[in-house]
Amino acid sequence: MEDEVLIIENLEKIYAGGVHAVRGVSFKVRKGESVAIIGSSGSGKSTVLRCINRLIEPTMGTIKLNEEVINNPLADVNEIRSKIGMVFQSFELFSHLKVLENITLGLRYVRGMNKEDAEKIALEVLERVDMLDRIDAYPGNLSGGQKQRVAIARSLAMHPEVILFDEPTSALDPELIGSVLQTIRGLADEGMTMVIVTHEINFARDVADRIIYMDKGIIAEEGPSDIIENPKTERLKEFLSAMDDE
Amino acid sequence: MLSKEDRILSWYKIPKSSRILLIATTLIFIFLTPNLAEGYESTWNKIEIDSTNDYNAAVIDSNEDAWIFGDKGIIIHGEKLTNWSIIDSPTNEDILTADSNDYMVAAAGTNGTVIYKEVLSNEWIKKSIDAQTKINSIAINNMNEIIIVTDFGGIQILREGEWSEIDSLTLEDLYHITFENERGLISGSSGLILGSEDNGLTWETRETPETISESEIISIGYYKTNRAYAITSDGQILKSTQEALTTTVGYSWSIKEIESENYSTTLNVNLTSLEILSTTKILLTGENGYVALSKDGGNIVTPQLFPDGFDNQKINDVAMINAFRGIIVGNEGNIFYTENGGENNPVGFEVVDFNDFNEFVDFTKDNLLEGLKATMKIVLIGILLGFFLGIVLAMCKTAPTTLKQMIESDLEKTLILFWLVIPVSILSTRGSGIGIGIFTFLAIIGVTILVDYYINKNKTETEGFLGILIPNNHRNKVIKILGLSLLIGIPISEEWGFEGGAGLIYSALNNFHDFQLGSDTPKLSAQLGYIFAPIGDPIAFFRLIIGIGLTYLGILFITANGSYSKKRFFAGKLFLLIIVWSIILTELFIGFNLNNFNLSIASLMKYLFFLGMGLFMTRRIIPELSWKNLDPNEFNITIDPWKLRPLNSLATLYTDFFRNTPLLVQFMFIHFGIQLGKHIQNIGIDVTNDLTIISSYLGPLDSLFAPMIDYVSDSLFGPGKRSYLSAIFALGLNSAAYQCETIRGAIAAIPSGQMEAGRSIGLTYMGTMRLIILPQAIRICIPPLGNEMVNLVLNSSLASVIAYTELTRQGKLVVAITFQIFWTWGMVMIAYFVVTWTLALLLRRLEEKTRIPGLGISGGN
Repeated sequence: MEDEVLIIENLEKIYAGGVHAVRGVSFKVRKGESVAIIGSSGSGKSTVLRCINRLIEPTMGTIKLNEEVINNPLADVNEIRSKIGMVFQSFELFSHLKVLENITLGLRYVRGMNKEDAEKIALEVLERVDMLDRIDAYPGNLSGGQKQRVAIARSLAMHPEVILFDEPTSALDPELIGSVLQTIRGLADEGMTMVIVTHEINFARDVADRIIYMDKGIIAEEGPSDIIENPKTERLKEFLSAMDDE
Repeated sequence: MLSKEDRILSWYKIPKSSRILLIATTLIFIFLTPNLAEGYESTWNKIEIDSTNDYNAAVIDSNEDAWIFGDKGIIIHGEKLTNWSIIDSPTNEDILTADSNDYMVAAAGTNGTVIYKEVLSNEWIKKSIDAQTKINSIAINNMNEIIIVTDFGGIQILREGEWSEIDSLTLEDLYHITFENERGLISGSSGLILGSEDNGLTWETRETPETISESEIISIGYYKTNRAYAITSDGQILKSTQEALTTTVGYSWSIKEIESENYSTTLNVNLTSLEILSTTKILLTGENGYVALSKDGGNIVTPQLFPDGFDNQKINDVAMINAFRGIIVGNEGNIFYTENGGENNPVGFEVVDFNDFNEFVDFTKDNLLEGLKATMKIVLIGILLGFFLGIVLAMCKTAPTTLKQMIESDLEKTLILFWLVIPVSILSTRGSGIGIGIFTFLAIIGVTILVDYYINKNKTETEGFLGILIPNNHRNKVIKILGLSLLIGIPISEEWGFEGGAGLIYSALNNFHDFQLGSDTPKLSAQLGYIFAPIGDPIAFFRLIIGIGLTYLGILFITANGSYSKKRFFAGKLFLLIIVWSIILTELFIGFNLNNFNLSIASLMKYLFFLGMGLFMTRRIIPELSWKNLDPNEFNITIDPWKLRPLNSLATLYTDFFRNTPLLVQFMFIHFGIQLGKHIQNIGIDVTNDLTIISSYLGPLDSLFAPMIDYVSDSLFGPGKRSYLSAIFALGLNSAAYQCETIRGAIAAIPSGQMEAGRSIGLTYMGTMRLIILPQAIRICIPPLGNEMVNLVLNSSLASVIAYTELTRQGKLVVAITFQIFWTWGMVMIAYFVVTWTLALLLRRLEEKTRIPGLGISGGN
């Protein structure tokens, strides 16, 4: 279908040493949809996410972005990656550049824009994440939540087709999580296609259109966000009860 | 910490243009200023005599009186070289040659004229030969008999008052004759040298080099009994030494390579005579006022200056009492006297008392300043070369390109590399030498990258490299063809073909085998001599390495089948075990003789050692062998040959070589062994000549460019700059290997997430490196690099062994002159300390400047 931005088919990944992290995962992401992937540690969710933009090369399977297979050797990896945004758990801001420069780096050197145009877009995007007051600061002087918002802005500035979030709030303490989640919620409302790997079950339920629960490398349950209320499989029930107990 | 703008001595307070000016003048000062005004004055003093005849010959007799002979029979007597007067001559013919020994002085000239006198008497006796020929040279042998030589192979000897002919067995013109005891030498045209062992009664031809068979050897002379020299009229110097204890000097002759202006074997001067002052010091005279001194047996020949008023007339002969006092004579009445061996004196030469510290410092500080400048020159360029090459190497070592990527995603690039870039580079090396070859290689790579960039600039879907994209169904076939071509080469013709990997290995091993470095037994230890084969034939060694590489790639590509994964070698470990044990068994038991079997401790230990090694290797190869469940698959070896990273391997080869040999040895190998300085100098001179020619087409601009080109070329490629060029490269290349490891460590210290983040926004590997990783890594590696740079400054003192006059060598020279060891070396130490400390301060500044706020523990102030 035309509006299926991301199609993942039979994804498998075996790490060197024999760890079979992902054992045949298939799902689709439609335009404007936000999909949350939840599961316990070691279930393979980060691997799946990183396979999408080929930071990890899948052992088997196909990944299609807008009908184009992106994991064959002939594809231009850099071009693909500029269409997919990624936000990391450890923020990974470029610590030797100021906030504004962090955003304009991609625009200037990947999209080839000149400095003024790049800065215009950067300021727009920083406004969306509410970081306009710190554009001249270095990442070392920012708090965790601010850094993550800048990271989101960095991905947004490239106008990607889909943004991937790899546990965006796992490194933040509860007070700071709020600002980041608010930003992500705002993006979802605006219609950005997103795939979020997260531990925040409630957030997943509120924001995501669909939730995928992974366990031991396969998708154990998949469905709209109300499966949190009404889990269908045993494993999801156990998982949710374990999370609730904390 | 004061902010940048607040500090008093802030670099930023200086306006930008002045900063640039400051840097530029410093660089020019260091690199392009000439050395200390090298003013010299001549040590030849003109002797004024009232005659303008051409003087042709001069001798000094056993009384230390000089006798000068010239045209129209003029004879001049120089009593003790101080009182000069013209003597009545018994002839009016031109006297062309003269000789003297303890007993008499003899001279000869045109029309067969021969005159002589005993040293103790004042009377000149004329005893000419019958023929009316011009006598070319005269000599007196051990028996006080006079021998003359003429054109057409004529030799005559005056014995008991009568002239008789001696058979020379040749019709060549004979130009010079000389004797040392009973041994004589005659030189002539067409490269002829005759020798005699019996006071000139019989003569035989001596062997001379083929290349001078057309030249006229116009002068020849002994120096004592163990060395003889000869010169040709077109400026070549020949030398003969005692080959072994059995042969005597004068039998075999070789041409001296002269390290003067044209780096060739000729001086390009019409020489007239040569005088040997010591075993290695020779004085040459020639046309156009040419007088030159060589202090090392003809290697470096330096023309000497004349006092003002000399009009470059032809100098005909030289006569010296000893190595320092003597005269030279020439046309138009020129006689010059020297007490210094003719060697130029530096201007302002005064006698200095080196025991006075004030005078000592005065004298030495100029030398040391020169040395300091010389040190800075090689250190700066060494640092830059080392740094940039180090970054390149570090990038190569961390490059993720595997063979699999080269063949899968980048097949077109790989094809162009192997079928276009490398063959063209090899052809250009064959045609114009390795310098042009390397240049072509880099140029083509640069051009193809640029062209590819422009073709693929705005395309979302790549169309391959340079617009070539091999369709999917043909890819595997093309890979196999590529592999085949690497293995067997491209055999077009002798001139245009390329050998493949297999051929290269085979021919290289053949070359090595010719050396016969090992013995015939199959023992491994007997073949260890082949370790040194690379030195015997370096070209073969390179071909071997390249051959191994190409064969590996070739076989790998040929067997590629689309899935680039591990390969399994069935029973591979068993195979390994067989090899290990056959080596051990041959080592122990070949040549084993039961009769000779001695039970000494040494041989017992040897057996035990080898057996122990064997068991150890066995255990390592098959660790979990259990005889109960013998699984044949246990013996398999799985390797992944596609994991090889070619750039990584190349860079590792480089760093392993430079980090595992001492810097001192590298200096000597590069300067004396490979003679890198000489080759670069030659290339530089060629380039300068080309530039000069181009500049000459530019009309009026030529007068602007030509002196600039000359000056820069002289400071970089002039005579004596060979050790400079070698030193730069030895220091730079060695430092690059160490800096590479430092930079690599710094790159590895950057969290991998940074690379991931950079790649996630679409930057290429290189782009991420350049914009994200390297800026952060450089900051980390400044302290260790500072260490490395200090090492470089101090290691530059090793350049003194290749005769580069940097600070240490200047120190040695000063000690040799002044004998003040403590003071001299003290000054040198202070100089090094100042330089190194300044560098350390600068680096500290750099560290502050590049501090990233909020990142890293910075420690104290």
